[in-house]
Amino acid sequence: MLNAWRKLREKGVIGVNQRNLDFVAARNPRRLLHRVDDKVETKRLAEIAEIPNPELYGVIRDGRDARSLADLLDRADGCVIKPARGSQGKGILVIDGPLQGGWRLANGRRVRLDDVRHHVNSILSGMYSLGGQPDAAIIEYRVKFDPVFGRICFKGVPDIRVIVLKGVPAFAMLRLPTAESDGKANLHRGGVGVGVSVIDGTTRTGMQFDRPIRHHPDTGEALAGLAVPHWDDILQIAARAYDVSELGYLGVDIVLDREQGPLLLELNARPGLSIQIANQLGMRAHLRAIDALDVEYASADMRVRLARRAFEKSFGEKGLGDGADSGSAPDGARARPVLGVVEGGLAGAAA
Amino acid sequence: MRSNALHAIALAFFLIAVGASVFMIKAVRFGYPLQPGVTASVWTIEVFLDFMAKDEPARIDLHIPTTDAARDLAGEEFYNGSFGLNLTSDRATGNRKAVWAYRFPSNRKVLRYSAETRGETQSTRLPDWFAEPAPRATPFEADPVKRQAFIVWSASLRRRSADDATFADLMLREIFGGPGDRGEDADEQAVLLKELPAPLDRLELARETLAAQGLQARIANGVRLVEDVRRAETIHWLEYRVGGEDRRFFPGGAPSRFLTIWRGAEGLVSANGVSELDLQIAISSERSSAAALAQRAGAEAAPVSRLFSFGDLPLTTQLVYKTLVTIPVGIALLVFLRQFVGVQTLGTFMPVLIGIAFRETALLNGVILFSTLIALGLAVRFYLERLQLLLVPRLAVVLIFIVIAMAGITILMTDNNQAIGLSISLFPMVIITMTIERMSILWEEASAGEAIRQGLGSLVVASLAYLVMSNAHVEYLMYNFPELLFILMGICVLMGRYTGLRLSEVWRFRQLARA
Repeated sequence: MLNAWRKLREKGVIGVNQRNLDFVAARNPRRLLHRVDDKVETKRLAEIAEIPNPELYGVIRDGRDARSLADLLDRADGCVIKPARGSQGKGILVIDGPLQGGWRLANGRRVRLDDVRHHVNSILSGMYSLGGQPDAAIIEYRVKFDPVFGRICFKGVPDIRVIVLKGVPAFAMLRLPTAESDGKANLHRGGVGVGVSVIDGTTRTGMQFDRPIRHHPDTGEALAGLAVPHWDDILQIAARAYDVSELGYLGVDIVLDREQGPLLLELNARPGLSIQIANQLGMRAHLRAIDALDVEYASADMRVRLARRAFEKSFGEKGLGDGADSGSAPDGARARPVLGVVEGGLAGAAA
Repeated sequence: MRSNALHAIALAFFLIAVGASVFMIKAVRFGYPLQPGVTASVWTIEVFLDFMAKDEPARIDLHIPTTDAARDLAGEEFYNGSFGLNLTSDRATGNRKAVWAYRFPSNRKVLRYSAETRGETQSTRLPDWFAEPAPRATPFEADPVKRQAFIVWSASLRRRSADDATFADLMLREIFGGPGDRGEDADEQAVLLKELPAPLDRLELARETLAAQGLQARIANGVRLVEDVRRAETIHWLEYRVGGEDRRFFPGGAPSRFLTIWRGAEGLVSANGVSELDLQIAISSERSSAAALAQRAGAEAAPVSRLFSFGDLPLTTQLVYKTLVTIPVGIALLVFLRQFVGVQTLGTFMPVLIGIAFRETALLNGVILFSTLIALGLAVRFYLERLQLLLVPRLAVVLIFIVIAMAGITILMTDNNQAIGLSISLFPMVIITMTIERMSILWEEASAGEAIRQGLGSLVVASLAYLVMSNAHVEYLMYNFPELLFILMGICVLMGRYTGLRLSEVWRFRQLARA
């Protein structure tokens, strides 16, 4: 164990203690945290800066607002209800669309207005917020799943997590829902994390439950060697998220929408550390290298360029890709063609 | 960031230094025992003076024990009656006197002095000035006959000895030994003895003989410390230093413990203007915690140990602090388990609070009780989930249920004559309610496994915290050395700057270490 401890230290793997002390506490002043902890505020700032994000249908702040709930929910495309101050994906209700006087959830269950109202009331009473503070419920656009990840994705919506230091994207990871995670992309529930090269967005190694894997547990597809589309836009959104949040150490969650492209989903002031396992890299050395850069007056464009250069410098041209054989690809191009959507079929198989 | 770290480390070491130095002062300088249950016999010595006053100015001088720091004299009390009391001390001999005086006392009067002490043994050190060479004094200057006798006798002693030590041994044997030991100079000795009560006459001769050799010597007087005695007799002995060694010579055989009351050849008490003076020295022994005695003696000796002790507080408050000062130990343990081991618990300090609750129930009962209540509460919580209640009312329902469940268990257990039922009273139901709420949310949001894992983690930490906090050693040390709190604080500051991996993270990232 001591040996492993020493080895991990050499590799620059950072733990919660160091993340909290050297990165979160040192770079994310408390007075700014509400910008990321409150998703209503995050969306407002993103709107001002014209960072694309899922359209906000409504915010429910108290019981009176809850009466107009039915109107807000009645959308053919469905919607998502989530707590404004939730964390770790808690309290999120995804509504697919209307169904027989109620609504159909993403997991196929039918809910009635009473059920939804109870859920919203739970959110308002602070059940999902940090410290049980009274909260607000957000109702927003339901992201339409981009078929690009169809073969390595089981139900649900995959998202991309980018760790941004001083506005410079440092590490990236693709998070894929699995049958085990019940269609949610949260890693601690069994979602799959796939390391992504910051240079060109090609996927590399994967992990589930902190153990490295090469194939998606449900679809059996190889995880490495795929190219995440719109990679430039994704890096742009990540870099600009720093401008609106002003947090020096930031986790930016981005989803790919079929019609609208990359959308900023949420920001996180204390991003998790599993990204190190997904990338098979310790973060310390690269974060220190970025920290040494002078980016005080650099624009988001410049910081994206710096990010690619720094990543290349730290990890080589291909970002140490574990099978990233096709090299850097222009925006949208794929290292390996990804075909079709298997959502429906597998959902049925799993049920 | 660097300066932050330096600042924190400096603060930590400052706190630790403060705590450690006060601790050392108390442990080394005042001899606070470091183990609980160390008891020492504490002797209470009481001197009663009983006399008839004669309606004329009265003055009574009583030697009272000299206060050398090493002697730990504590709790001195004087009963003066109507007399005025004046304490005098003599710097040269270290003697102290209580002087009671009254202009026109009448009838029978009683004066009393009492003190507590741990006493002295043969190994108690003599004062430092004893090590210095004494000026050579030639006794019996005034009387040529005695002077001649002394010279003859001491020359004979010198002839028959090799050095100061053998000289002293031989001299004492000749003075105090039986008729066979008197040697050929018995006549000379007889001439030299002064008119003093035995054995002071012989002790005085021995002292003068040693002084003539340039050796430090003095007569000391006191009492033997033995089990309860109503009327103790004073004993007299010779303290001298020879060959770099402190020695005491007791004419009647050495007692294991004694108390020096005064030095010199004077009497214990001198009285003017009274009659029928009766002096009585009573000694009683009591086994008491050595810490308590050290505390009592230390409080008089140094403000620092008084500052860092609870001894002056009312007893009920002391009992509260006895529990309170152990909590930081549990907290520090929790910090270690969280920051270095990475144990996950429900709530930050909740396990320590549960650990405190275990004090009431003892460990096994506490764990059983805690688990039972959590299980019952979770069942109710899951049932309530279906009723779709708001958060606070739902918490209230669970809390009320917990009280009912506790009452039920108490009644059930008391009927079966189980002590567990009676110890339940202070089990913290609010903490249990919050634990249930957190656990059920975790159960739903993460998984049953995660909830049970964190619940078990909390239980393990609570048990460890309880074991540490209820440990007799820990309780004793924390209560008697509250300055250790500064050390704990310093350690927590240091732990707050630990940026390395936790043990759980080493396990989590173990595969990265292999690659």
